[in-house]
Amino acid sequence: MVYPLGYAIYLSLFNYDLGNGAHDFIGFGNYGALLAEQRFWNSLDRTVAIVLAAVGLEFGLGLAIAYGLYRLTFGVRTLNLLLFLPNIVTPVVAALFLRWIFMGRWGLIAGTLIGWGIFPPDFLGDPDWARATVILADAWQFTPFMIMVLYAGLNTVDQSQIEAAQIDGAGVWTLLFRIMMPAIQPLIVFVLAIRLMDAFRFFDTIYVMTGGGPGSATETITLYTYALAFRLLQVGKACALGVLTLLFVALLTALMIRFVYRRERGAF
Amino acid sequence: MRRRLRTQLPLFLLLAGFTAVNLTPIIWGFLTSLKQPVDAFAVPPEWIFQPTLTFHAQVWFEKGFGAFLVNSVVISVCTVLTSVSVGTMAAYGLARLSSRTSRGLLFGLLAMRMFPHILLAIPFFVLAKTLGLINTYLAMILALVAINQPFTIWLMRSFFVDVPHELYEAASIDGCNAWQVFSRVALPVVRPGLWVTALFSLLLAYNEFLFALVLTGPDTKTLPVAIAEYGGEDINYWSLSAAAAVGIMLPIVMFMMLLQRHLVRGLALGAVKG
Repeated sequence: MVYPLGYAIYLSLFNYDLGNGAHDFIGFGNYGALLAEQRFWNSLDRTVAIVLAAVGLEFGLGLAIAYGLYRLTFGVRTLNLLLFLPNIVTPVVAALFLRWIFMGRWGLIAGTLIGWGIFPPDFLGDPDWARATVILADAWQFTPFMIMVLYAGLNTVDQSQIEAAQIDGAGVWTLLFRIMMPAIQPLIVFVLAIRLMDAFRFFDTIYVMTGGGPGSATETITLYTYALAFRLLQVGKACALGVLTLLFVALLTALMIRFVYRRERGAF
Repeated sequence: MRRRLRTQLPLFLLLAGFTAVNLTPIIWGFLTSLKQPVDAFAVPPEWIFQPTLTFHAQVWFEKGFGAFLVNSVVISVCTVLTSVSVGTMAAYGLARLSSRTSRGLLFGLLAMRMFPHILLAIPFFVLAKTLGLINTYLAMILALVAINQPFTIWLMRSFFVDVPHELYEAASIDGCNAWQVFSRVALPVVRPGLWVTALFSLLLAYNEFLFALVLTGPDTKTLPVAIAEYGGEDINYWSLSAAAAVGIMLPIVMFMMLLQRHLVRGLALGAVKG
């Protein structure tokens, strides 16, 4: 693990091109080139927007569903199992399934709408819709994970606290927001941190669904790195981009961990 | 009772409705795999049609997906065996070390979890190319073990930490040496955890795409890479790629269903304790 990382950093200092065989030391040249490049900033913006929207959606939906499951008294086991399925399906396969849903003209949604006489937008071909679709795709795959973890968390909340609140006349939503969410706050921060880290390297689904397109509407940092390394064969520059991503994610996570630790000192 | 039903029933219907929407892509993919192209391209989409298994047969027997399945299974199983056995021993060591020493190591492991995989894929690719390991099982297994290891160690440790210290002490008083304490006492106690860890490793190895895309060649191509090459572009092959997609999904989903209880518990445990 440490060796490949070191090697990546080492490579990032070279003008290393697998195409023309160049291999010269250029120091921080790659980093400078990237930071000066509009495509880099665009892909970073896009990634942040997609990640925040997707994780926000997953969390909101996940919490609502988990709480619903928590209140439900029958059929929970079955629903739980069925809800979890999208998370198990191989991401590439999931992306294909979603393509068949969202595809223009012949996809399930477009086809049904046409059948009703409505002309639908091209979900994967229009830049804005493509971005929305990619967010939905990520949410489809990872909301189950949120549900599962939050549901497990809600079940650990002290029963006597809940009863006390109920006697004091707390309604369904007050109970959730005032009693249960504060009680599982460390878990919430933890699961958000995990999802943020994972969403940043989200690759398979976008690669299969849109390939970063149309144009570069859904080209995230990971896809850009991939394109640099394996299409343009500029390995050095791609490594530099990877290192920048790592620094960015590390910073984000460090902030979150600090936030958790301030509250929860005895966690380990 | 009546009042309870009045709140419970809408709630159930709401959740069941969400579940149904959630499962639509999977069901739709499955239906597509049973369709003739004529039905697959019908507008509006057809829910009822004459099913056919032609494409399922074609995928496995004519298009060589059998060989890709073998590749996937060989790579997954080797990855699970290696990473779980190494991970278990490392986790045991960490669990028994004093908390201050192990804490730094554990944070290091957690930090590795957030690596963008693409950053590792590049050096792996360059290394594998220099060593002539592209298109071998070995390269793929090593890469998967490397990315999987932090997770297995972290998860196994949470199980070992739960074992009461007295158990270890009793064992060593009874004359077990360090290895025997591990293999005869600790391992049997954490067996359920071992299953959970193995399951998650299997899921990761079987589903992994990026490394497989970069590191495998014609002889070692895994199922996800094969389907991605197939399904994406040519619209004429819809039914065929749907059949392949369903074929890839079924084994792992069935396996997970069978072992569902372990999975859910492990997830809850791993996440709650983190």
